[in-house]
Amino acid sequence: MKILLAEDEAQLARVLTMAMTTSGYQVDAVDNGQKVLDLAAANAYDVMILDIMMPVKSGLDALRELRDRGDRTYVIMLTAMAEEDDRVTGLDAGADDYLTKPFSLKELLARLRSLERRTTSYDDQELAFADLRLDSGEQVLESHNSISLSREETRMLQYLIHNAGKELAAADLLQRVWAGDQDADEEDVWINISYLRHKLQSIQSAVEIVGEKGGPYLLKG
Amino acid sequence: MSIYGPYEDALNQILAGVEDRLREWNDHQLAMHRPKLYEHLIGRVKTPASMTEKCRRKGYPVTTAAALRQCRDAVGIWLVCNFISDINRCVALLEQADWCTVVQKKDYITNAKPNGYRSYHLILDVAAPYQDVDGRRPGRFYVEVQLRTIAMDSWASLEHEIKYKHHVADPERISKELKRCADQLASCDVQMQTIRQLVQEGETDE
Repeated sequence: MKILLAEDEAQLARVLTMAMTTSGYQVDAVDNGQKVLDLAAANAYDVMILDIMMPVKSGLDALRELRDRGDRTYVIMLTAMAEEDDRVTGLDAGADDYLTKPFSLKELLARLRSLERRTTSYDDQELAFADLRLDSGEQVLESHNSISLSREETRMLQYLIHNAGKELAAADLLQRVWAGDQDADEEDVWINISYLRHKLQSIQSAVEIVGEKGGPYLLKG
Repeated sequence: MSIYGPYEDALNQILAGVEDRLREWNDHQLAMHRPKLYEHLIGRVKTPASMTEKCRRKGYPVTTAAALRQCRDAVGIWLVCNFISDINRCVALLEQADWCTVVQKKDYITNAKPNGYRSYHLILDVAAPYQDVDGRRPGRFYVEVQLRTIAMDSWASLEHEIKYKHHVADPERISKELKRCADQLASCDVQMQTIRQLVQEGETDE
């Protein structure tokens, strides 16, 4: 992972950079919020770790500007122990996580590992369920045969597999698969359930999606 | 004389006869206001040169008996359909027909070949008022029928074209892309089938 660290205490910045580099991460370290904006505009980062109190531009201001210009990078804020307001403001401004100072290096590294698992292994992973293999990266579904899936079908099937055997409301599938798309409705859910059913049949899988139009839907292996 | 011996004329007659019956079926469906069975019908008698080459390749004797009995595709018909369900309709009609017997079915649609090839192959045994290679009259002749959707047909054309090119740079990559393309076309076929069914279900609801 490529990490951007913004910390104006030189000693702390050195220690953090050293520890993260040793753990195999690529680290760019800066000492104020303006440099965060400059570097983030030029490079792609997986994580940014931002101190709040910094000269020239604070971590909070930098974060707000980042989010305003559409940067969705995962951000961990470093806040002072006493300042509950900082943590709330930070999270509300678009931070994903925070660590209160003084924090343990072990904990920071554990959080980075946790994040790495979520972004790499949980996301693009190949899922297996009963006689199915779903390659979400390639958007291909395999059983006896193979067939391509659309983005929506892939996400819906991922969610169904993760929650196999549970009844899932149409509204949940809509929220999960079409999050933020105002034009999508439960009819889209039904049409894509129908596509998936026919595709399961065409690859001769024994897996079934149970449920009538309107839901709830349940994946049965 | 060609590898077909005295039977070449009979093969052409049989091809024409089976084609006529299939066209009649299609006209009948249209007259009943049902969707057409197929979009295109293409038939051919394999050229004697190709049949000779095939017998050699397969290690069969280059004889009329091998060409008409060991090989069963001297007469071949391709039916190209709009939807997967139309293929199933055609197969059902052929199985019920009294003028032929289905002697072999290979469903490469539900069991696609590893390279992505999809098609439904049938071998028909057709009785016809000509003497056959075993001396019977009416004689028995094999007709191969291949059924596929328009998408499967286009894919097969592309695959065929590439297979006979001598110098393909990076053939593994091309094979992988062809397989991916076959899966995408299968996806479209299933999607069209589903839309058609959803619309039909909507009609019966009203």
